[in-house]
Amino acid sequence: MLNVLIVDDSLIIRKNVRKYVTTLGHNVAGEAQNGAQAIEACRKLKPELITMDITMPDMDGITAVKSIREFDKDVNIIMVTSHGQEEMIVSSLKAGAKGYILKPVSEEKLAKSIATIYKNENLDVNSVDDELMDD
Amino acid sequence: MATKTAGEIEQEILSPMLERTVSFLTEDMQISVTSNNIEIVSPNQVELKKNTAMIGTGGSIQVIITMSYDDKLLEKLVEVFLEGEEAPEDEIDEIRESVSSEIVNTIVGNALTNPLDGTTLSITPPILIYEAKSLFKHKSSKIATAIVNTEFGDMLLTVIGPKESFADTLNFKEL
Repeated sequence: MLNVLIVDDSLIIRKNVRKYVTTLGHNVAGEAQNGAQAIEACRKLKPELITMDITMPDMDGITAVKSIREFDKDVNIIMVTSHGQEEMIVSSLKAGAKGYILKPVSEEKLAKSIATIYKNENLDVNSVDDELMDD
Repeated sequence: MATKTAGEIEQEILSPMLERTVSFLTEDMQISVTSNNIEIVSPNQVELKKNTAMIGTGGSIQVIITMSYDDKLLEKLVEVFLEGEEAPEDEIDEIRESVSSEIVNTIVGNALTNPLDGTTLSITPPILIYEAKSLFKHKSSKIATAIVNTEFGDMLLTVIGPKESFADTLNFKEL
């Protein structure tokens, strides 16, 4: 089971990702609405996984990833973004993100992304199905 | 570089957005689109619907994009986003705003590239527009609109840009 920090300025996305995380058998450690809050929450909550929106007010997701990497090399970060933002996806991955989910977010996409990152680890969850794990 | 007419602008700027809007509604939201009608003109005024979200682009082309929804369509979109869950009464307004913003963010982020060089345009976080009823065109600006008709009402897409943003390479046809 993973402790997950959800970062998105959209209430509906935070609500849905929270639901998916829980359904997939993980724990929501906390939520943040912009990059600055994400950095603070990451220091405080020490999550194992972060879902991070890219386009947010005050501080965007890429800047937040760079800052988080300065003090936490281990947390896995999945960016949540749109098809058209390929350059930002590349920047995010260079900054230290481990993967990305294209909007609209779904439980299946999140499960697949988590499974890809943790493919060699036993997460002790009961909802990530074998087919996704094999992808 | 050859100049481009309003018809080409329709195809190269608004059409990808319209195409993505239709696929978003039909495939992601399971909402039937009954017809769509792109009208590329330079109207002096565009009537906004009550529910409107706006997003800006940055980079080589700077435009403002608005998406307006009929009430019934937005209610349906909220219902789909909630995936069958009941929204708490004290959160429903914020959820409605959140859905409205998220859709413009998703569609524009998915659709927008510079038609001249294919590069991606950066986007601002969405902004909600309250109380505004109309957009008025300044003489140096350009407005392009597209209307998507669905089984739950209409969605109005508007692109607003200063003519100078395009003038070097795109020749807008004065109508």
